[in-house]
Amino acid sequence: MTESYPTTPSAPSRRSTLRAAGGGALLLGLGLTGCRSAVSEAEAPAGKAGEAGKAGAEPRRGGTLTVAVNTDFTPSLLFAQSGQSLQHRLIYNTLTRYDDRLTPQPELATSWEYAKDGRSITLALRSGVTFHDGRPFTADDVIFAVKNLQNPLRAAQLRATAAAVTGFEKRGDHELVLKLAHPVNNLFDLFEFMIITDPNSVEDAVTGKRLNGTGPFKLTKWSPGSGLSFTRNETYWQPDRPYLDGVEFRIVPQADALLSSLRTGQSQLSFSVPGKNLTVVASAPDLAISEYSTGGGALYLGVNTTVAPLNDKTVRQALAWGIDRERILQQVLGGYGLASATPWPKSSPAFTEAGRTHYTHNPGKARELLRSAGHTRLDLPLLHINLPGETALAEAVQYDLRQIGVHVTLQPTDPATAQKNLISQTMPGLWTMSHSFAQVQPSTLAVSAYPFNEAKNTSKYRSAAYTKVVREAWTAPADGARANTLRQQITDTLLDEAFIIDLAIRGAVQVSAKKLHGVTLNKFSYLNLDDAYLAG
Amino acid sequence: MSGYLLRRLPSALLVLLLASFLVFAVLRLVPGDPAAVLAGPDASAATEAAIRAHLGLDDPLPAQYARWIGGLLTGDLGPSYAIGGQTADLIGDGIGATVELTLGALLFVVVLGAAFGIVGATSRNRWLRGAVRILTTGALAVPPFVTGVLLVLLFAVLLGVLPPGGRVPLLTAPDLGVQYLLLPALCLALPSAAVLGRYLEDSIGRALAEDYVRTATAAGIAPRRLLWRHALPNALPPVVTLLGMQTGHLLGGAVLVEAIFAWPGLGQLAEQALVRRDYPVVQDLLLLLVTVFVLVQLLTDLVHARLDPRIRWE
Repeated sequence: MTESYPTTPSAPSRRSTLRAAGGGALLLGLGLTGCRSAVSEAEAPAGKAGEAGKAGAEPRRGGTLTVAVNTDFTPSLLFAQSGQSLQHRLIYNTLTRYDDRLTPQPELATSWEYAKDGRSITLALRSGVTFHDGRPFTADDVIFAVKNLQNPLRAAQLRATAAAVTGFEKRGDHELVLKLAHPVNNLFDLFEFMIITDPNSVEDAVTGKRLNGTGPFKLTKWSPGSGLSFTRNETYWQPDRPYLDGVEFRIVPQADALLSSLRTGQSQLSFSVPGKNLTVVASAPDLAISEYSTGGGALYLGVNTTVAPLNDKTVRQALAWGIDRERILQQVLGGYGLASATPWPKSSPAFTEAGRTHYTHNPGKARELLRSAGHTRLDLPLLHINLPGETALAEAVQYDLRQIGVHVTLQPTDPATAQKNLISQTMPGLWTMSHSFAQVQPSTLAVSAYPFNEAKNTSKYRSAAYTKVVREAWTAPADGARANTLRQQITDTLLDEAFIIDLAIRGAVQVSAKKLHGVTLNKFSYLNLDDAYLAG
Repeated sequence: MSGYLLRRLPSALLVLLLASFLVFAVLRLVPGDPAAVLAGPDASAATEAAIRAHLGLDDPLPAQYARWIGGLLTGDLGPSYAIGGQTADLIGDGIGATVELTLGALLFVVVLGAAFGIVGATSRNRWLRGAVRILTTGALAVPPFVTGVLLVLLFAVLLGVLPPGGRVPLLTAPDLGVQYLLLPALCLALPSAAVLGRYLEDSIGRALAEDYVRTATAAGIAPRRLLWRHALPNALPPVVTLLGMQTGHLLGGAVLVEAIFAWPGLGQLAEQALVRRDYPVVQDLLLLLVTVFVLVQLLTDLVHARLDPRIRWE
């Protein structure tokens, strides 16, 4: 086109081009080298050098830990378990915390004693604990915390357990009796879940204005869409803790950007790396992967039991036989987790190897069952959330079911709509999703996780026998032969009725810089940095 | 000029009113609601119903619309349903980041677009013109999420000279802030710079083909003076209109780029709010976006009218 012009003014001369290039380089250079470097600022050494002995050999004080998260803090969900509960244990404490064997350990409650009839529990509370604003922690704060979770507006998943507490008897500021309407065996799940908030500022807390707790860090700033900043609580009740001066949460929604953030040292900890990206992390020399095998969630295939032919138990069982769980574990979870036909992780008292492997990948048996139910080909809809991991799961299920003659049409749906369908029981024939609450006392799953609820669940499965065993498993003592029998009955019902077909237990996978030590998660994925330090 | 502005104002206000209806209605037509999101994945229908009543979502739609518009007119944007905090604070926190990113990208669009256009239209070097053409084709064809990943891989992971994401506000620490801004602004700017460059190339080409250029050339005016003093000013008015439209594209494209570079702007806020059906935040953000569009168009038309007097006289 330019050839036809009568005159062609000269392009910028070589000299002017060089001048412009030089100027540009100078400007860029000013940004990149003349002033501070954003890269080296972010990688600034952690901890105060020389304060401790050998690097990494023992805890050392100081430094700021940056945690990469993929979703923002949602203060309105402060009292519900959500995808982002990491910050809870930094700001707040809980009454007790479980060890790896589900034995409760003291936190704000130092000891406890159940009444013989199981209708009350006496708690001794820690003295000398103060909230971040300096107010002392007392039994009134525990009474408020329980009553707060009884409020439906708080949307707390353990509301049923909180509601079982019907009376309070205060014996001074640091001793409290909780009276129960009926015995429950998951009270310590509630104590692990229930953060102790300041009653005077709770309304400010649920709008994100002021979060006042007794935890190791004070929230200094929440910048929506950007992150959270915490500073050390100098008056924390645990002596010499925490070691870190501060913690920063940085929101990095995109998986590749999150990975880059870890690889370039911009952040040192994340629990949000998708399974398929974990192989990349495994090859990075400065990063380490560790897995919390207690399992905070599980992938499942939900079945609407009121839709023909899924109202036939044989068809549901055929689907359960038709899915290759091991492949799902590898492809969707990157190999981190446990392929399982039951919801229970290995740490659960309800876990059995026989239950886990009750359904294995057996397309022949699946086809045989379908034939026995009078079907050679089925066409079914499957709803899934339109996010990468969830789509991968739905596609894996679709592939496996096609091999047994079940042709699945995927219905990608946004999270809010899927959530609405779940609660309002308007799911199509099949759906894939994840659930939690199998990582604590088994009774909690059937009482508090909606997909399993005996009274009302998305599968529209109802059975007087299931209701009876669930209620009994909740109110019977947690230990002993009777408890084991009841758990086994729940597991047997789930496997036999197959209204929720469990596929794999998802392990909480921690990716961290090798110089970071002492990080733990509680059973509800609250991040505990009491003993964390940066060294090495 | 003020008369021209006054003539344009009523239509701008009408657009805003219609947009408010549309935004409100469309959000209500989208399945899912904030109460279900707030209730959490394991909630019962009773919990969801209690939350819906608390948020006033049981009220008739006209009452909800009136409450929203009434709040806007009195400067009360109300609380966010799902994210937490006041909507005004949420938008206030994000707006600085988005303005920074958009202005940074706009600067790249103008500089790169002008360079692409002028070199493409005037260079006698075939190789240079070819290189610009390949560059603009690439910038148009490769989607920002790929460009973003490539930029991060090159400058952050391999070379390690720029941070892969995040933000330090320019006003807080300009030396650090500019380094955080470079990659997302460039990523956001590239497609628009390519469009602008091609349009400018064409526009300069047409201006250079005009008779007055031949006359000026015959009169012995230097080619460079011809380009800068005569051809370029005549080529500019439509390019300014295009730049106005591209500003809208930049605002829209910011959602994706903000996600790639963890840039805490309004795009990220909009995405979060939409996923959670946080009606007040989404409504206010969309209306704000429409208002900015309308203002940019008004401004563009004013500049266009300033550059081309014929527009004012119409």
